[in-house]
Amino acid sequence: MGDFKFAKDKLAEVVGALKDYEVFAPAAVGDVLRFKEVEDASSVSFDFKNTNVPPKELMFPETETLFKFRVGKTDIEPAVPDESKKRLVFGIRPCDAMAYTIVEKLYSWDYPDPYFEKRRESSVLFGLACSEPVPNCFCTSLGGGPGSEQGLDALMFDLGETVYVKTITDAGDTVAKAMGLEAAADAEKKAAAAQEKDALGKIKRSIDTEGIPEKLPSLYDHPFWEQFSDRCLSCGICTFLCPTCHCFDIQDEMEAFDGRRARMWDTCMFPEYTLHTSGHNPRPTRKERTRNRISHKYSYFPEKFDVIACVGCGRCINYCPVNIDILDILEKSKQAEAKEAKTA
Amino acid sequence: MVDETILREKAREVLARDDVRRLIGWKRGTYGYESAPAVLKDASQADELIFDPTCVQNPASFITLEEKLPVPRGQDPDTRKVAVLVKGCDSRAVVQQLVEKAYTRDGVIVLGVPCTGVVDRRKAQKMFGDTSEPVMIKEEGDKFVFIIDGETREGPRAELLADKCVRCRFPNPLVYDELVADEVAVWGADEFADVDEFEKMSPPEKWKFWEEQFSKCIRCYSCRNVCPMCYCLECVVTKQKPQWTRRSTDVSENTAYHIQRAWHLSGRCIECGECERVCPVDIPITTLNRKMTRDVKELFSYEPGVDVEAEPLLSCYNPQDPEEYIM
Amino acid sequence: MMDESNPYLPYIVNIEDAWYETPVGDRAVKTFKVNFKDEKVWDTWSHKPGNCAMVGRLGIGESMFCISSSPTEEGYLRFSIMQAGKVTSALHDLEAGDTMTVRGPLGNSFPMEEWEGKNILSIGGGIGQAPLRPVINYVRANKDKYGNLSVLYGARTSDLHCFKSEFQEYQEEGTECHLAIDIEEEGWKNFVGFVPDLLLDVAPSPDNTIAVTCGPPILIKFVTQGLERLGFTADQIYTTLEERMKCGIGKCGRCNVGSLYVCKDGPVFSYATLKEIPEAFA
Repeated sequence: MGDFKFAKDKLAEVVGALKDYEVFAPAAVGDVLRFKEVEDASSVSFDFKNTNVPPKELMFPETETLFKFRVGKTDIEPAVPDESKKRLVFGIRPCDAMAYTIVEKLYSWDYPDPYFEKRRESSVLFGLACSEPVPNCFCTSLGGGPGSEQGLDALMFDLGETVYVKTITDAGDTVAKAMGLEAAADAEKKAAAAQEKDALGKIKRSIDTEGIPEKLPSLYDHPFWEQFSDRCLSCGICTFLCPTCHCFDIQDEMEAFDGRRARMWDTCMFPEYTLHTSGHNPRPTRKERTRNRISHKYSYFPEKFDVIACVGCGRCINYCPVNIDILDILEKSKQAEAKEAKTA
Repeated sequence: MVDETILREKAREVLARDDVRRLIGWKRGTYGYESAPAVLKDASQADELIFDPTCVQNPASFITLEEKLPVPRGQDPDTRKVAVLVKGCDSRAVVQQLVEKAYTRDGVIVLGVPCTGVVDRRKAQKMFGDTSEPVMIKEEGDKFVFIIDGETREGPRAELLADKCVRCRFPNPLVYDELVADEVAVWGADEFADVDEFEKMSPPEKWKFWEEQFSKCIRCYSCRNVCPMCYCLECVVTKQKPQWTRRSTDVSENTAYHIQRAWHLSGRCIECGECERVCPVDIPITTLNRKMTRDVKELFSYEPGVDVEAEPLLSCYNPQDPEEYIM
Repeated sequence: MMDESNPYLPYIVNIEDAWYETPVGDRAVKTFKVNFKDEKVWDTWSHKPGNCAMVGRLGIGESMFCISSSPTEEGYLRFSIMQAGKVTSALHDLEAGDTMTVRGPLGNSFPMEEWEGKNILSIGGGIGQAPLRPVINYVRANKDKYGNLSVLYGARTSDLHCFKSEFQEYQEEGTECHLAIDIEEEGWKNFVGFVPDLLLDVAPSPDNTIAVTCGPPILIKFVTQGLERLGFTADQIYTTLEERMKCGIGKCGRCNVGSLYVCKDGPVFSYATLKEIPEAFA
């Protein structure tokens, strides 16, 4: 595909040139960043590490309507997103784009999920390579990296005054041309390669995942989980802010005569998640819930879909209020002796 | 100044007792300015304990977080005590939990840790940046001294203290079985300047402010779950039948959640600031709770979490209660 | 599915008949006989014994239930639902003439083809008979394909027996049928005791036999132990699991036991499979 560039001070013009796209980019409320639809192209900036809330919400919103109905009526009006308008996700980090490629496997599994798929199909992803990884980034352990192209249509490198744009797919190429970008020279390519190498060196944390998916089931009853679960708050931070966590609840909501069936993010860390109506809870304590979160990502998901459901973005570590550190858990799981575990 | 050797020794003694099940304190975190709550079950683990200006968490929160499973037939329930290390602010949670009879006084062993203030991680990150290696912090007079990636850095105490510490009036534990260090001098005075500042806004400005703040909420419930006073077995916001708050996230439902929580904490919030600290989207929850705290103080001359003998404010009826409370 | 492209959209069904299996009150069981509002659905509908469906009411929500009628019972679907929570209470308010929603068929099914030529032993307790009923009726309708059918069933009291009249039919047809109640009752001539005890009392032979069991977890646990004691191997024993579910199609996450989703990989599992998953009996 192509190599393009633009001057960084022309960022607003480049984004503004796209009339046929809904553009989504990181936007700040105070210190909190999340992807929002761009209303004013001049607000788009490359001056961020990563968003607090991952852009999974662009494919799988916090709350979305599945269908609508009216009291006493039996007509059901589906609310599948309109795919006629193309969407451009601008400035997505490589880890978050890679997360789409993982979650996609589940959403397209057997019963394709039209809500996720319609959004995903109509989205063009313009990634922004990382020059300053944060202290808990460990994407390189999961097959990603500061310049990873997985899931992306184009990857941008912020080289200071110039932005180098490498297009990866036809869709990326089309957008680059619509933006009116000029061709890049070897100088930009070299600078981008140097930046990627430099960024790789700044990733300090890692885990060797070899053997973990196979080993975790043998640690089912192992006491080591309690080292972490004993201080777990059972809150939703680690899962809601995880770009690969995809679980949801479904609820019916009424507004006078209008009703909707909606789905919203849910988390295996809440006790209500698995609570039976009878009062029985198969995962009654934080130990079972912590084990399920880690096992789902690092064992159950890879068993089903051949890929670990983690991209190493570090959010669950960064935002955990009680320092439950997934890398620490995984390291301890590697050290734990399966024979210490009681047999089930 | 707390001597960690003494703290660990006291903890070891407590953990070695047959009638103690676990001890909750702090240990070193895995990166940056983090410490981690430590839940220890064995005397041999006592050396994991630390106390320094990273120890922001409130260990009293973890007393009520433990899920109690039904006792299997033929077994006796575990009635051993829980030991907890508390700073002054944390101890107010224990006091209020005792006032509300969340557990009995002889069910807990309280080791008091006089505290001269903890560092706000976000302020430190802004001043020094972040790192993947654990940072060591100690207090030296009016400075905090940091060891970050092997380098020594210094910052003014006043600029790095957590907000709750700036106005702290209770650096010494209010309830304890034993103190692990000498009491410290009180430095703070609570003038509610933050609430005054907030109240300068007009009602439409306030509404706009909270609308923006609550629009960020992702309803992870970390503020509720970390709160030492939010220990209800079933929370009104997660109740399904009847359902008072919808699960969908929008400004209206998020606002309903936060306002319910603020009401349920009025006369109960002990201002440990944990709700605001844990919020992943920086909602200034303390502002809401502090407003309630001041109203309760002005209307009822009541301050929660300072007197073990006090009666819980909103559970007690007094014919002399001022009527302005009902708007 | 109502719409091939959208697995979240339910069918509307008319309730043709509804009746209580057990005395009205808390935890009562009510059976609904339903038909699609749009009869054309039958052209594409096909289910097997063991399949489930999300049954619900617009404005309240849906929950997962097994389809308690066999595909050999044509022209209607049956659901037998115990009142317990929000959705089941709202469903119990419905009567013949009302509508509800059905989304399915979902999940896997009992391997009826694989079992051809074998004796079928059904062991149920309480509402756990609901997923066994389609197995029994399927075998009854295909008598020539299967060996002997025997049915063991119990509930706390005789009042709480579901599908009472049908057990009479089974017996009249010559099917071996054993009923039990937990506590002694005046006029009760059959077995008194728990279902696992009934099983050991009847002591069926494991020869060329498949045992299918369903009921509360404690019943499944002890029936399985009893079957093993009688010489049944793990791959001769089948059961169904139950977890909280929302989507029914392996997306929403909550019903996993280990790496399996009960809604999609289940609800039917052989004991041989479950033995390998520690979480299966959590």
